[in-house]
Amino acid sequence: MPQFSFEPVVMPPEAIQLRQEVRAFLADEIQKGSFSPAVGSMVEGDEAFSQKIGAKGWLGMTWPKEYGGGGRSSLERYVVVEELLAAGAPSLCHWIAERQSGPQILRHGSERAKRMILPEIAAGRCYFAIGMSEPDTGSDLASVKSRAVKAEGGWRITGRKVWTSFAHRAHYVIALVRTSGTPDQRHYGLSQFIVDMKTPGITVRPIYNLYGGHDFNEVTFDDVFVPDDMIIGGEGRGWEMVVGELAFERSGPDRFMSTYPLLAEAVDELGPDPERMQAAEVGRAIAHLATLRRMSASIAGMLNDGKSPVTEAALVKDLGTTIEQEIPEIVRRILPVEPRGVSSDNGYADLQQLAQMQCVSYSIRGGTREILRGMIARGLGLR
Amino acid sequence: MSDMRDEMLRTLDRIVEDTVTTALREAADEKASGGGAGQGDATAALWAALEAAGITAIGGGGEDDVAFADAMELVRRAGYHALPVPLAETIIARRLLAKAGLAAPSGAITLAVPGAGELPRVSGGALAGVIQGVPYGRAAAHAVVASQGQLHLVAIHDALMTRGTNMAGEPRDALDLARATVVASVSWPTAAGDLEAEGALVRAVALSGALSACLDHCLTWVNDRVQFGKPIGKHQAVQHLLAQLAEETAAAGAAADLAIEAAAVGPKRFEVAIAKARAGEAAGKAANIAHATFGAMGFTREHPLHYTTRRLWAWRNEFGSEIYWQAEIGRVAAQNGGAKLWPLLAGEVETR
Repeated sequence: MPQFSFEPVVMPPEAIQLRQEVRAFLADEIQKGSFSPAVGSMVEGDEAFSQKIGAKGWLGMTWPKEYGGGGRSSLERYVVVEELLAAGAPSLCHWIAERQSGPQILRHGSERAKRMILPEIAAGRCYFAIGMSEPDTGSDLASVKSRAVKAEGGWRITGRKVWTSFAHRAHYVIALVRTSGTPDQRHYGLSQFIVDMKTPGITVRPIYNLYGGHDFNEVTFDDVFVPDDMIIGGEGRGWEMVVGELAFERSGPDRFMSTYPLLAEAVDELGPDPERMQAAEVGRAIAHLATLRRMSASIAGMLNDGKSPVTEAALVKDLGTTIEQEIPEIVRRILPVEPRGVSSDNGYADLQQLAQMQCVSYSIRGGTREILRGMIARGLGLR
Repeated sequence: MSDMRDEMLRTLDRIVEDTVTTALREAADEKASGGGAGQGDATAALWAALEAAGITAIGGGGEDDVAFADAMELVRRAGYHALPVPLAETIIARRLLAKAGLAAPSGAITLAVPGAGELPRVSGGALAGVIQGVPYGRAAAHAVVASQGQLHLVAIHDALMTRGTNMAGEPRDALDLARATVVASVSWPTAAGDLEAEGALVRAVALSGALSACLDHCLTWVNDRVQFGKPIGKHQAVQHLLAQLAEETAAAGAAADLAIEAAAVGPKRFEVAIAKARAGEAAGKAANIAHATFGAMGFTREHPLHYTTRRLWAWRNEFGSEIYWQAEIGRVAAQNGGAKLWPLLAGEVETR
């Protein structure tokens, strides 16, 4: 019977040493007041911070040196990502670019794209957004209607993308559009393009989220020119590209650690001698997180071996977002959390409220629970 | 996977296939037979086959012994098969005895872990006290027992006080230690805690195996059972249930692996706590999903699903329920404080 395997990985000594380096650096940054730990590093962005991380050589670590990378292992990268999340560091700017756009360009982009873009991502200066969803296209991604038509030396894109996180600050968006066929032809005829956000014809309009934050955007493409060598993987291979990205997108610690800083705050608030059920609630979250760390590191090991564990990644994301979403609930079961507004300084209570409002998005972004469970069922041979 | 591990697991599979019939499972299940069939007689052939294959003598260290991780894979597979003999207990008891520098006797050895306030007293060379819920206390010739600061190997032929069972009908007996014979004692300051942790470790590992069995049972069933004109596994609601079962199974497996790896170098109570807490939680969810999937058929005596699901329910309680271990993890976290929570999670804080 099919079952999923998460082979143990052994962290190499260089990864163990790197962890201490990263942690010391982040402690120092906090000390200097460069940031204060936030819930969900993926919603706080600071260009200067991303550039510092880049200068340290902690972005694009696994990429070849000729493209500005560090030529290091996925496990070393894993350690850096974990430490950034554990510290609640403002990592949003580089996050998408470093996690999935860069690896995608490295594997399937043109030589010019690789030389032009990868060193900039690795330096923490170049940011990406993902243009997948559209007004009529959510989980059913193959139904995209945005279209590119062939032009002299490139393509011209027309269409509309929504829920495009970070598009207002990104330098590029990777857009999934139709280059042939019709929406009812599904996966056929889709292509991925790297679109420079400065290109004439692009309009970005903010879509504020439920607590007033600006992450989402609507991005409109009106006859936007993209050169031929900014297509990823070749014309008509867009769906394959999207699927290939998923193991990178879904398996990382960012899929279970978003609300970790809240848990750490709650532990402090509880003090050294909690009641039994309070301790058990915290202990349960820790048992989940420790298990997920191991599963996620196992996937990093598989990625390091050149595998594409897409189903295992879906499994980790579904389990991970479940506990991420439970942490605000756990905190309100064990500590008083009165509504006192999010602007005054109420320590863990503020974090709890922000996490509460934010966490509903965790099981939507990067693939809904239902999509993930469908993929796992396919992996079990049921579909 | 090492060749030796592979070979061992195949041997166990073959013995189960040859020996563990439904009749044997029924006879060994004290909930069904009421103890009248004599559990020991029913499973004697199974134990003899395991013994002949050398499977009951591992875990004791020494040159010919298998690696600890391989031994734990046997425990996991025994859990998968819902094996009605004290193999896990014997393996972990032999490991403890080897660590204590004591020679292990042949035959089944169980663990007598004292509950709260049950810690046996030592006077002269003898022990006094009663320990409840000793796995296979009636069938095992020996037990490993902890007292304050000491670990003991005792012969328990004459120590059986009351027969009892867990939810799965596995023997869980009360032993009167005053009627046991102390074979050997050794000073071991943390004996009681370590004995409990080693017991929790094997239950977590066995739970991981039982969860895999649960998933296999369910996959077979949803592919075979037809309702509304198609196998029920083609219905999205059922697919999503099984996806969650697969998630819980994978998580329990990873948690058990984490503890096995940590425990290979010594008792690692914190990692064991994580494994037992996570596998125990998975067990409850998995049993619910399995029974939802099987409907009325799974609620019958006739269907073998209950050999697995009742073990999931029983084992998650034994050697500390998930609440017990979660609370311990939480207390360790609280004592370390928020700033050290991350190093604690990353396995860098010495927790003993």
